[in-house]
Amino acid sequence: MDASLKKKASDLLQMAMDAGANQADVILSKGNQFSLSAQNNDIDKYKVSGSQVIGLRVIKDQKVGLSYTESLAEDAMQIAVKSALDNAENSEINEYESIESKEQELIFEAEGKTDRSSTNEKIEFVLGLEEKVKKADSRVTAVPYNGLSVSDSESYYLNSNNVFGFQAFKYLSCHTSALINENGKSSMHYHGEIGHSLKELNYKKCIDESVYHASEWLNARSLKTNNYDIMFTLDAFEQIFMCFSNIFSGKGAMDQVNPFREKIGSRVLGANLSLSDIPQHKDAFIKSYFDSEGFASKDLSLIEDGVLKSFYHNSVTAKFFKIPNTGHAARGAKSALGVSGNTKVISGGNLSDENLKQGKYFEIHSLQGLHSGANKISGEFSFAASGYFCENGKVLYPVKGVTVSGNFHKMLANIEQAGSKVHATGDKGFFAPLIKFERVSVAGE
Amino acid sequence: MLDKVVAQDILFEALSLGADFCDVFVEKSEVSSLSFNTSKIKDIKSGVDFGIGVRLIFGTKALYGYTNSVSRDELIKLTRTLAEQYRNQRNYNKDSLAFHSNKVQGIGAMKSPNVSLKEKIEMMGRLDSKVRSQSELVKQVNISLFMRDQSIQVFDSEGLFMEDHRPYCRLSTSAIAQDGEDQSSGTWSPGARGGYEFIEGQDLDWIATYVAKQAMTSLKAKPCPAGKMPVVIDNGFGGVIFHEACGHSLETTSVEKKASEFWDKKGEIIANEAVSAVDDGTIDNLWGSLTLDDEGMPTQRTQLIKNGKLENFMCDRLGALKTGHPRTGSARRESYKYAPASRMRNTFIEPGKYSLDDLLQSMGDGLYAKSMGGGSVNPGTGEFNFAVQEGYIVKNGKIQEAVKGATLIGKGGDIMKDISMVANNLDYAAGICGSVSGGVPVTVGQPAVKVDQILVGGKA
Repeated sequence: MDASLKKKASDLLQMAMDAGANQADVILSKGNQFSLSAQNNDIDKYKVSGSQVIGLRVIKDQKVGLSYTESLAEDAMQIAVKSALDNAENSEINEYESIESKEQELIFEAEGKTDRSSTNEKIEFVLGLEEKVKKADSRVTAVPYNGLSVSDSESYYLNSNNVFGFQAFKYLSCHTSALINENGKSSMHYHGEIGHSLKELNYKKCIDESVYHASEWLNARSLKTNNYDIMFTLDAFEQIFMCFSNIFSGKGAMDQVNPFREKIGSRVLGANLSLSDIPQHKDAFIKSYFDSEGFASKDLSLIEDGVLKSFYHNSVTAKFFKIPNTGHAARGAKSALGVSGNTKVISGGNLSDENLKQGKYFEIHSLQGLHSGANKISGEFSFAASGYFCENGKVLYPVKGVTVSGNFHKMLANIEQAGSKVHATGDKGFFAPLIKFERVSVAGE
Repeated sequence: MLDKVVAQDILFEALSLGADFCDVFVEKSEVSSLSFNTSKIKDIKSGVDFGIGVRLIFGTKALYGYTNSVSRDELIKLTRTLAEQYRNQRNYNKDSLAFHSNKVQGIGAMKSPNVSLKEKIEMMGRLDSKVRSQSELVKQVNISLFMRDQSIQVFDSEGLFMEDHRPYCRLSTSAIAQDGEDQSSGTWSPGARGGYEFIEGQDLDWIATYVAKQAMTSLKAKPCPAGKMPVVIDNGFGGVIFHEACGHSLETTSVEKKASEFWDKKGEIIANEAVSAVDDGTIDNLWGSLTLDDEGMPTQRTQLIKNGKLENFMCDRLGALKTGHPRTGSARRESYKYAPASRMRNTFIEPGKYSLDDLLQSMGDGLYAKSMGGGSVNPGTGEFNFAVQEGYIVKNGKIQEAVKGATLIGKGGDIMKDISMVANNLDYAAGICGSVSGGVPVTVGQPAVKVDQILVGGKA
């Protein structure tokens, strides 16, 4: 923890209170990053960065105002205080928003071993990534995307009720890709890994996954346009699940933009599956200890045996719905108060993975168009997909150049087959069993 | 902003450490945003982004760092940290580094009239009422107003010193319609390189009608049939097809890595002869326009494709070093937190001679994509996808029922050859393009085009 940054945050809070705020809180985020990438056996990009931003929320006469500054000079902080109070003055009375956490200190230093690798070792690592991809398959014509990144971030929270929170994260990530060209056909795949130290990074998996899928999909077929049973790899399932995660937003429900706002108590997930949010899951890579309002993070059951039980709530949405706060406030230094989840766990299936893989199905490994092909209100989606057509757990042939479409809300509710074994995504932020979705529309030949 | 003497010290330090080139990018952006929801002003935010990016080039190696500090010592320390692995100490005459500025014809830009927060909130309230009055099925309206005043300085080791001021303004409106269990949305988000004057020129009645109609149309739409079929993509945001399917592959960011299907195709026919396309940073007030790029070079109009032939790539300094193609004033970045890269500005297919109706008649049966959503591309393989926001079945050249859930996928090289007719109704639309140097404001545009065959993802 940097005592001078804590003092800056404390000074800003005091300046806001001295200027007439009834309540205030401050979020200060600091980040350092070092990243490298290689091209043609040499370092191509080398980046060193350090920055901070401080965000202020004031409440005056039941009106809320927000401001931020990336400069911590006193004059910049004075302007931030004035801006926040001006913004509050022009806001409408907000009967639900106040600063409620009180009198506590929440301090959590970064987890995991400290990475002690030198810059030279990191350079060797990145050069090795590129070289090994090229060596793995003579048809690799380029490794367009590869790199190593070391991230170190700290977050400070202070409010006018004497709450101080600090949490820090440190991690490394690496990624690589393989572009294969042969006989006028081209194929590319990309894979990334995350770890606490250079030694912990599974670079071999990065290389193997990139080369294997790029090679397989070079000669992939399309599928005939029809309905197919499909299974997503867990990483692909997390991507599509997160596209529609607004269905758990208490803020969305309050603002009438959550399509599940009337569904508390209704069945929304098939096969009697349950979904929980576990902020400090023992196997999660990144844990959360307190939320952006200074409340300690705690476990939350969102869906029990298929029935929607709760949304993510902060103090505002909890007050609006007259229910307890779940401690899921989310606010960055530059953003307004919202809600967000942590590590999610789906459980409750009753089939072995082997049983689940009986019959023919399309196993989807990669989805494209996630930011544009999903309608978060209606649940409709249509994504480009790549993967493998399988039978009884064995690959029959690789598939690409198809789209998969449907209504994700309905697909969740209609799940009939899910595994009993819970798997983790590569970044260990999402835990779920394999799930088979029946008769999903696939467009191809 | 940054003192010239400090900038000169950084550049001198970089050259003394053996860098072949160094530039310093200074940014101060004043940002404000308002969000209006449930017929109330919800959040009013404002803030200041400030930082300095330092780039050293050794050969073709780019070393980049940034900081929020203007302290000379901090910036020299950053420069030395960057050069640590590659330093090659040499004597350099500091006096030889005298700054000069090039004269630039600025693009026309609207001013930022002094409009109070209260007036802006009143405008959002009027727009909210207008959208809600379109139908009882409109259950929610979200409006946001974003304004950014970016001031930049660029100093480089060739003695260039340039300054620019870039105002941006964008109004986003979305309507959510609900009928029983069915819900859908419609959006419209115009933006300009300009100030609030742009918003004052907007027709709020038109926006209200457009977003409500789009939400209501989708509400009643049937699932789109799937399969390969001809598609007419209408003007404006339909230009995302060229942006994704071809534009990204013409940035030297992809070309320099040979991660573009067009990297060695300059001078060759890569599209149907009906297609001519341009990336133009000089159009007054357009969202993607620039007076200077982020390397301090005046922006320009770049002919990318003429009658199907690849004429030029979009190129920044590093791209020019690596590929030999000329720089085009296309170096862009989201903020000082990113090194510059070659990026699109206002990219569009030039108008042809046909009417929209000519295209529909010629198609006979197929899909009419009136409004497009976003998309993405893998430049290495050219595989792209983009979503149809508002689409209709066409039979015998006549527009029939609305359909939803359609995605178009294919390969850039293929679709460029399958655009067989181009209409004369060129229009533009604003968007944010995300890539290696972050999210930058871009304009996409086109007249309506007919694609002879493309895979439409929908209901089997």
